[in-house]
Amino acid sequence: MRASSPHRANLLGLAFMTPAMVLLLGFFFLPVVLTSVFAFTNMSTATGISGGSYVVTGNLLRSLTDEGLDAKTIDALGQSNYVIDQAGLERARAAGVDAKFVAEIAERLKDRSFTSSSAFERELKTLPSRPTRVRDLKIAAGAFEQSVLNVRYASRGEMEAALSHMLENPPEGAIERIATASYTGWTWTTDNFKNLAIAPDTWRIVGNTVFYVVLTLAFNVAVGLFLAITTFYLPPAGSGFFSVLWLLPRITPVVLYAVMWKWFTWEDGFVFNIAQDLGLPAFNYMKGSVASAWTVVILVNGFVGASFGMILFSGALKAIPVQQLWASEVDGASRWQQIRYIILPQMRWPILFVTSYQTLSLLSSYEQIWLTTNGGPGSTTTIWALEAFKTALNNYTGNLQYGLGAAMALVLVAVGLVLSIVYLRLFRFDEMMSKPKIEF
Amino acid sequence: MTVLPRLKSAILATALLASTATFAMAKDVTISVWAGGTGPTNDYRIEAIKMAAGVVERQAKIRGEELTIKIEAQTWTGWDDFKQAVTLAAESKKAPNIIVSGHEDIGPWSQSGLLRPIEDYVDFDAWPLNQLYPNLIDVSSYDGRIWGIPQDAEARPFFFSKSHLKAIGYSDADIEALPAKVESGEYTLYSMLDDAKKMQDAKVVEPGKGFMPRPNNGTDYWQFYQSFGGEMIDAESGKLVLDRQALTGMYQFFVDAVEKGVVPATYLGMTWDTWHQAVAGDKAGIWHGGTWHKAEWEAKWGLKDFFGQMQYSLIPAGNEKGRANTITHPLVYLLSTGGSDEDATLAAELITTASEPYINALHAVKSGHLAIGSAEASIPFYANDRWTSAATEGLLPKANAIPNNSDFGVVWKAMYKGLEASWTKTNSVADAVKAVETEVRNALGDKIVIR
Repeated sequence: MRASSPHRANLLGLAFMTPAMVLLLGFFFLPVVLTSVFAFTNMSTATGISGGSYVVTGNLLRSLTDEGLDAKTIDALGQSNYVIDQAGLERARAAGVDAKFVAEIAERLKDRSFTSSSAFERELKTLPSRPTRVRDLKIAAGAFEQSVLNVRYASRGEMEAALSHMLENPPEGAIERIATASYTGWTWTTDNFKNLAIAPDTWRIVGNTVFYVVLTLAFNVAVGLFLAITTFYLPPAGSGFFSVLWLLPRITPVVLYAVMWKWFTWEDGFVFNIAQDLGLPAFNYMKGSVASAWTVVILVNGFVGASFGMILFSGALKAIPVQQLWASEVDGASRWQQIRYIILPQMRWPILFVTSYQTLSLLSSYEQIWLTTNGGPGSTTTIWALEAFKTALNNYTGNLQYGLGAAMALVLVAVGLVLSIVYLRLFRFDEMMSKPKIEF
Repeated sequence: MTVLPRLKSAILATALLASTATFAMAKDVTISVWAGGTGPTNDYRIEAIKMAAGVVERQAKIRGEELTIKIEAQTWTGWDDFKQAVTLAAESKKAPNIIVSGHEDIGPWSQSGLLRPIEDYVDFDAWPLNQLYPNLIDVSSYDGRIWGIPQDAEARPFFFSKSHLKAIGYSDADIEALPAKVESGEYTLYSMLDDAKKMQDAKVVEPGKGFMPRPNNGTDYWQFYQSFGGEMIDAESGKLVLDRQALTGMYQFFVDAVEKGVVPATYLGMTWDTWHQAVAGDKAGIWHGGTWHKAEWEAKWGLKDFFGQMQYSLIPAGNEKGRANTITHPLVYLLSTGGSDEDATLAAELITTASEPYINALHAVKSGHLAIGSAEASIPFYANDRWTSAATEGLLPKANAIPNNSDFGVVWKAMYKGLEASWTKTNSVADAVKAVETEVRNALGDKIVIR
């Protein structure tokens, strides 16, 4: 039998890797690339995402006046004329306007002109064959319009052609300038980052985010470790029960979990009633004070992370050779000494993993906060990811700033990458992953 | 001999042609309508379109056409999710035919090409659009074009608990005279804070419930900016305006309210239910809301005697630079660029028919909103409703609207963030104003006038 060639083995490996690579490409690289692209634009609800068109509007004329475009050009652009000429009649026929109606327009209104659509439409309504539907009348009127004002052109070329047709002897470069200013879509810019850097609000949200991540992370790791070690020393039946109990926050659907916290901390909720019975201040703990709101936010996320930590730490604990613990007991070590000198030193890898994984997931998670305090009271518990989400996708005024929101998200990606590298260095990841010095 | 068969075939051909014509005219059209801010008391935003569809179907039948209109409606109680849904649906070319939203969305949505100008589809010289209030048409216009048809109007008044006013020494006559004192500027926001404090001291309302403003973001907060002399738009240049002095006055007012103990520092973000329960249950001293809240309080929160329990007025002036005011925030029917021109034409016809005074009055009276036209205001069903007619005469003529401008959202967001920051004492008033100024200056440059 012939041994399979190493090339084939490589190809097979690649084939096995393909699904993972496709997923990585689709769910990580592509979003990051798109976020990076969006971040360098001024995309918003007003500019749209898929590109704009070219329109000369009243407001545009006003700003062009402010910028010093000559009055004659502005005047010409602002005019709206309805001229009944041969070209107009042909356009009307081409637009499908009833032939009889067109004939009446030609007969009774030829060579007349109107300065407003309403005046022209009023005149059209006097004709015997006028259409019954309003829209048909408007289409007929529109065929005679000779104006660029408020007309949407799909391309720059069309706008420039229309401008050249409208303006007699425009000043040098005026057409290009007007066409550029009339664009309604997004443009490339680095302003998002500049604005983020100088906005006073930025540093407040950064502060909130650091506060939230550090405290929640500390809670995750400390409580996760505590739970893992205490269940480790419990008899197996009891430890199994407690492990399942502590898993509840993680396996409960996030919306239900948030609703349960609301019942727990809301006015007339569980804590409220107990506090009232004990004569303590009873109020809406989730939103009623900044300190209690932060406590709720940290606990809500903390318990989810703690159960995650507990599973990993429990697994790691079981891998510690039990003989080491027996030996230490023979030497008279206390429980604390066992934890301090045997267990913790062997937990470096899982602690590294939980810390780095949780830092990154806390940095980018906002859903629990959104569903509980929603960043309040005021905006005191607003963190970076929540602010990015609200800026880009969800706010009361409906002013979705995709560009600015993406820039905020990109900052988060960059911070995440930097932190990952720092963690790897700090915990000497390469040493842990290197080949053992003794061959087994 | 030859005539008869020819006649026969001609008759047969005509009959065949006629039958195919009937088949060709049978038409099923689906029109989708999405509405934000719509709960059980304002279901006529959608129902009116359904009623209009019935009328248009009958008109078609009389013309000999077989037309069936199916209305696919979707409503949202809030605004955040609704506006997100509309914007993203439009980006993926799935926008509904008709959108019912706040008029301020016309600015950004028209720029992005999400909307068809409704003036290209309807006749404002003909009934029922020719009796709409001109100021509401202005509110539905942007950049010289009319983009929407007003669906309702409202005012956002101040409310006072009559029993709590009496508890601090007001007589019936004093309470009656209060709205006039507010309007003249004699009774200011600070007089109101004093009264709220007195109510708390007299223990008729709990601490922190003397003054219960709107619990979250809304047009209402611009009223306080106006109370301190702020303007949102420069009438002459049409540019947005940020008045630092007015913003300072407004932020300081809420900080003072917190310091007086009549409203908590952590008030913003409270749920609507808690607020409704307190104000409708006479647990609050003074608050502000909308004309439509009366309908909600009666339908859901057990309010029995509105006029016996509450007094209402304009939002008082804050200082001598400001004025007593109220803001109307009409919702408008908008036509999206989604669907065919034929569908849009039908959708516009439905909107026009739904604006018929008898139909719109159903929405106005049921939801506590105000008439959109003069004919509607004189329909007995509307005119004989004490609240709608009182608000139409007493409040609506003094109401102004927020500007339609594609950049106004940026200013609004910054204004509210600053309010949150100063109210919760995260920032000082001066720093909050500075932050707003920096944010809007960076974002808008010379598109905004900062005074």
